[in-house]
Amino acid sequence: MSGLGPRSRSQRAAVGIGFVLVLVFSLGPALVMLSTAFNARANAGSRSVVASQLTLDNFRFVLDEGHFGTYLRNSLVVALGTIVVSGALALLAAVAVSRFRFRFRTAILVMVLVVQMVPVEALVIPLFIEAKGLGLLNHLVGLVAVYVAFSLPFAIWTLRGFVAGIPRELEEAAYVDGASWPRMFWHVLFPLVAPGLIATSVYSFITAWNEFVFAITFINDDSKFTAAAGLRQFFTQYSTNWGAVMAGSTLLTVPVMVFFLLVQRRLGEGMVAGAVKG
Amino acid sequence: MTQTIPTTEPAAGVRPPAAGRRLRHTPRWLPWALVLPALAVLGLLLIYPLGWVGVLSFQDFGLRELVTGERSWLGLDNFRDVFHDPLLRTALPNTVVFAVVNVALTVAAGTAVALLIAQLGQVARAIAVGAIMVAWAMPAVTVTYVWVFLFDARDGFFVELAGHLGLVDPDQTNWFTERLAFYAIATVNVVQHGFPFVAVTVLAGLSTVPRDTLEAAVLDGAGAWRRFWHVTFPLLRPVFAVVTILSTIWDFKVFTQIYLMPGGNGTNRDVLNLGTWSYITAISQNRYGLGAAIAVLLTLMLLAITAVYLRTLFRQEEL
Repeated sequence: MSGLGPRSRSQRAAVGIGFVLVLVFSLGPALVMLSTAFNARANAGSRSVVASQLTLDNFRFVLDEGHFGTYLRNSLVVALGTIVVSGALALLAAVAVSRFRFRFRTAILVMVLVVQMVPVEALVIPLFIEAKGLGLLNHLVGLVAVYVAFSLPFAIWTLRGFVAGIPRELEEAAYVDGASWPRMFWHVLFPLVAPGLIATSVYSFITAWNEFVFAITFINDDSKFTAAAGLRQFFTQYSTNWGAVMAGSTLLTVPVMVFFLLVQRRLGEGMVAGAVKG
Repeated sequence: MTQTIPTTEPAAGVRPPAAGRRLRHTPRWLPWALVLPALAVLGLLLIYPLGWVGVLSFQDFGLRELVTGERSWLGLDNFRDVFHDPLLRTALPNTVVFAVVNVALTVAAGTAVALLIAQLGQVARAIAVGAIMVAWAMPAVTVTYVWVFLFDARDGFFVELAGHLGLVDPDQTNWFTERLAFYAIATVNVVQHGFPFVAVTVLAGLSTVPRDTLEAAVLDGAGAWRRFWHVTFPLLRPVFAVVTILSTIWDFKVFTQIYLMPGGNGTNRDVLNLGTWSYITAISQNRYGLGAAIAVLLTLMLLAITAVYLRTLFRQEEL
């Protein structure tokens, strides 16, 4: 819409001011987090938003005394477990719903959409009781199971677009060459859908990495905390170690940020490809 | 789950499958074998617990029952308790009014940002899109801590700023203890985190609005405001429907952002919403049946909104 009709100076100024406001509002929290994480005086009474003296001490404290390295490793284990299981299950299900017509196919698709709306608060009570009964509290595998379930609907829904984008002729060519279905799946479908699998894996990763409610409910043992839950320990009843909170937050945020920015464009492309090709 | 913009699947339903050839290679049970593992996980971990929370809401289920596995039925007593609890009179508005206000602000802010970005040149546009992606990618836990830090009592940045301007006495001010101020801060948090999704989706929609139509409107003397309401908005109505309903679903079940604010974990009962009230009742106080009844109320409200969402979606495309 740019360049619609002549633009006056005041209109250009308004757009410029709007641009700056968008940048400040979007980047503000991230910048405050970074500057406090590196601020040597983060806990010295004055809560200035801009660091006057830079230091790595907050990070050193968080990793040494705060055991944040352990929490990050726990988060990584949980996130990787979630990616692998959720990716495999979602790929098979996506192939089924986009390559075959079978009874209840539409019903399954609707269910996949609907279960995304279920509030975490409704699930946490029964799943807590169940996990307690199964002895899964304080085990990371309990969290992996829950996060697989949370990330599956989105992964199925998205991969379905990627699978639909692969021309059927390629499949049929494999059959003509005498391939069985599993061979065709492994040598034709899987390599072609791999970019989509990477994209949805990133979303599963973020779901598992950021999750908070189950992470604080299932885990009491502080050597098993994930990073999102472990941040709470820097709050005590009387004071908060803000330098440590922000340093830990930075360590929590950076991997998510990198993945998110890497995959954002590609995921969009995959969805469009799935929609345009048949 | 942030961007379930469903894609259409045009040719798949139309093209007749090459039946003879495919049947030879794929047994009839194959699709079921492929979809069953995923269905089993969704059934066991999402659908079965959802049914169970409904059952729990009719039971007296506390710490004793958790240990012994006994269960005793209460009928509707849990729901009666919830409806007679004075907390409902604050928790319900804290959920519903908060969601309505936040959805309105998120959609308005996201749309304004999308319209602004559409006005920018290539470089400025890339910078702005990158910036809102950063806002989108921040974990909810992290952003919430940043806002708590900025609004913190006594020496938080905004309290000091308001003190310097003579608006408040920083030593006497703790915004987190007042319900309205608490939710105003939560609103800033949720809108800042939620507007990028709306902006990116509406921006994608704007590129589909035909230029000639807008140029014709300019020739007819329509200003930017009228062009938006009379040309852009009607054309993008389906896009606005989807972002509004998805935002509503997300803002209804906001939990982390409230729970992590000072007092949000139950110490200040004025600021409980249905989600935190249910969680604290069940997990912290071991009154699982009562907590389940609150969760059921929240879920029923969300199901109603979801039904509207699905109807909107089905009107647009065939699954």
